[in-house]
Amino acid sequence: MAISKKIAESMKSSSWIRAMFEVGEGLKRLYGEENIFDFTLGNPVIEPPEALKKELIRIVSSNVKGMHRYMSNSGYEEVREDISKFHKENTGLAFTKDHIIMTVGAAGGINVVLKALLDPGDEVIVPCPFFIEFKFYIENHGGVIILVDTREDFHLDIDNIEKAINKKTKAIIINSPHNPTGIVYNEKELKELASLLMEKRKKGQRIFIISDEAYKKIIYDGISFPNFFHIYEDTIVVTSHSKDLALPGERIGYIAISPLIKNAQALIDAAIFANRTLGFINAPAIMQRLVGKFQKNSVDIMDYQKRRDMIYEILIESGFEVMKPMGAFYIFPKSPIPDDIKFVRTLQKHHILAVPGVGFGKQGYFRLAYCVDLDMIERSRKYFNEVGNAVKRES
Amino acid sequence: MIVSKKMKKLILDQEGWTRKMFEEGLRMKKTLGEDKVYDFSLGNPDVEPPPAVLKALVDMLTDRTPGMHRYMENNGYESVRKEIAEYLKTYYGLHFTSKHVFMSVGCAGGINVLLKAMLNRGDEVIVPNPFFWEFKNYIENYGGVVRFVDTKEDFQLDIEKVEEAINDKTKAVLLNSPNNPTGIVYSETNLKELAGLLYNKRKDGKEIYIISDDAYKKIVYNNIKLPNLFTIYDLVISVTSHSKDLALPGERIGYIAISPNIEEIDLLVSGLIISIRALGFVNAPAIFQRVAGKFQDNSVNIRDYQEKRDLMYNTLIEAGFECVKPMGAFYMFPKSPIKNELEFVMQLQREERILVVPGRGFGKSGYFRIAYCVPIGKIYGAIDGFKKIGKRYIKKG
Repeated sequence: MAISKKIAESMKSSSWIRAMFEVGEGLKRLYGEENIFDFTLGNPVIEPPEALKKELIRIVSSNVKGMHRYMSNSGYEEVREDISKFHKENTGLAFTKDHIIMTVGAAGGINVVLKALLDPGDEVIVPCPFFIEFKFYIENHGGVIILVDTREDFHLDIDNIEKAINKKTKAIIINSPHNPTGIVYNEKELKELASLLMEKRKKGQRIFIISDEAYKKIIYDGISFPNFFHIYEDTIVVTSHSKDLALPGERIGYIAISPLIKNAQALIDAAIFANRTLGFINAPAIMQRLVGKFQKNSVDIMDYQKRRDMIYEILIESGFEVMKPMGAFYIFPKSPIPDDIKFVRTLQKHHILAVPGVGFGKQGYFRLAYCVDLDMIERSRKYFNEVGNAVKRES
Repeated sequence: MIVSKKMKKLILDQEGWTRKMFEEGLRMKKTLGEDKVYDFSLGNPDVEPPPAVLKALVDMLTDRTPGMHRYMENNGYESVRKEIAEYLKTYYGLHFTSKHVFMSVGCAGGINVLLKAMLNRGDEVIVPNPFFWEFKNYIENYGGVVRFVDTKEDFQLDIEKVEEAINDKTKAVLLNSPNNPTGIVYSETNLKELAGLLYNKRKDGKEIYIISDDAYKKIVYNNIKLPNLFTIYDLVISVTSHSKDLALPGERIGYIAISPNIEEIDLLVSGLIISIRALGFVNAPAIFQRVAGKFQDNSVNIRDYQEKRDLMYNTLIEAGFECVKPMGAFYMFPKSPIKNELEFVMQLQREERILVVPGRGFGKSGYFRIAYCVPIGKIYGAIDGFKKIGKRYIKKG
């Protein structure tokens, strides 16, 4: 066989995704693209900020020699300098360019961090529901994923986390704002988590927090985002500019290693080595130059907040039970029936495409990605109402 | 310990000579001045992308069509893959279609994605020695085992040794031609012998793939022809990049080309899609995909490289070195005049301010690698140094 057994298994276990995708494509052909409401993909329709587009053209037209060549594996010094200044200002901590490693998106960055940290059999705790790719990332490098259920409101269950920690625990991956729930963890629960981990540290076990902050700038209603660097020393932040600058296809992000980490140099060296040997080599050159200057910028959050408000309103008026998202562009309502795959099929009959909760490790829910045209959300209202009514009739 | 044991060992064992020399070189350049140091340690050509490429890039970014920077299919834009398939069809004479092309984050990214998709833990990959050191890391990333096979004196494949190395665990042979570090191009006869051997193994039910790292495929010198591997063997997967032909190494753009003769194509593509996602590449950078699609026919200015090769080669021969004449790429791999090439390389650096990489960085002690993709003035500047050190080490015997 051309492919490995493990990959073949992954294909089999995710075959329902493919099947669902194909049903969706079939529906689009049958009824026309505009009559199918596709909420399955986290691929924002929002364009990068105008100033960024201009700067990109300026950079590529400048014809500076050597602009497209290799640079050091960690990225351009001046770009890392810019980004470290941003973090220094934000946190008051002694960030230098050495704490920043430019990566091929957050996905690339997390792989690099895990490759640097994990020995075979090491465990990584992930609160559930979770972004399913984390499982791949951890297993790529011989790690074991340990899923820990969150509470009803999707906030961290510190007791559950404590129970999951053992001698093999190397790290915990936190993703806030969260995919798929849209939750933003508050300062209180993060401090509880930190003190739990610090207790373990006193007993000689070092557990890292890997904070996936891909959605950090997409936060609603003025909610504040607690800064991990202040809460816990052994923190590694991984982020990308896929969402805040709307550049997902260009694969640009970075790793920020806390200046408070002891022996950080060994970790930095390992991450640079992993970046090279996993075949990333370096983050795409011109995108590095571009994002260094745009650390404070973001797409207009109000664009997303309008969408959040509309989809939330539609779901509530249609009778769904759902947590109001505080950030990111996902919403994770309860399925009216326990079998979420079956319910997603029902949604399909009403022209709505969603992802069942099992795709995020949590049965009985479904995920809608509302980073779509506002007009499409409005047009979907009628269909969500219909589904709501049908559910009521049946129960 | 802050990093994994595996990682610590990797870093200690093999923190690439290339990088070490690079840093030593930087130090020398700072203290002595850039013009006093002759750095042949890095394969980072000082060429610029063709003006047409830069113009196309600006045009694409000026285009107001929305969605240019969004995610696309994990294997890349269909339209770009079509353009590349058309080129491959003409170039190799086989029926490539868009599904045989898989866009990747450079050649290094492509090989990693491919190995992840193909290797079971313990599967073996045969790599002719000397070799590009990163291959070892790439294979071991996925639990694979590297099986090194020494090449012949002239660096061509030693088919008997390849045969001895094949066993039940053998999944692939990883070739790199034109070769880093030797500059060799495997001859058609040589590759046909290899194919014959692998077809023979097929009769015993053993499917062995050839993974061909074609990063230097357009840098082949006059009078040499790069054999068409796709017509020599059926289970061929080529991985290439536009780091060299379009001079875009920092932008990380390349692709995997799967032979139309591979019947399990759909399975392989699905496996590659999972791998590119799982490893976090997700997709090749969007705008450079579009650029790459338009410039498949682009060639490298061979004349400049050839001039540099000739000057460097003649210098070495006159200085008394023994060296196989490179047929492509921009490397050469002369014999060290003393057995311990590390000591020789250090002398060369200290006494003549010439930076090269010791052969052990490519799995072969007793040799050293010269990367001559530098301004030609640097080669002229180093002639005296090579001659002096040649006199001292070789002429005395």
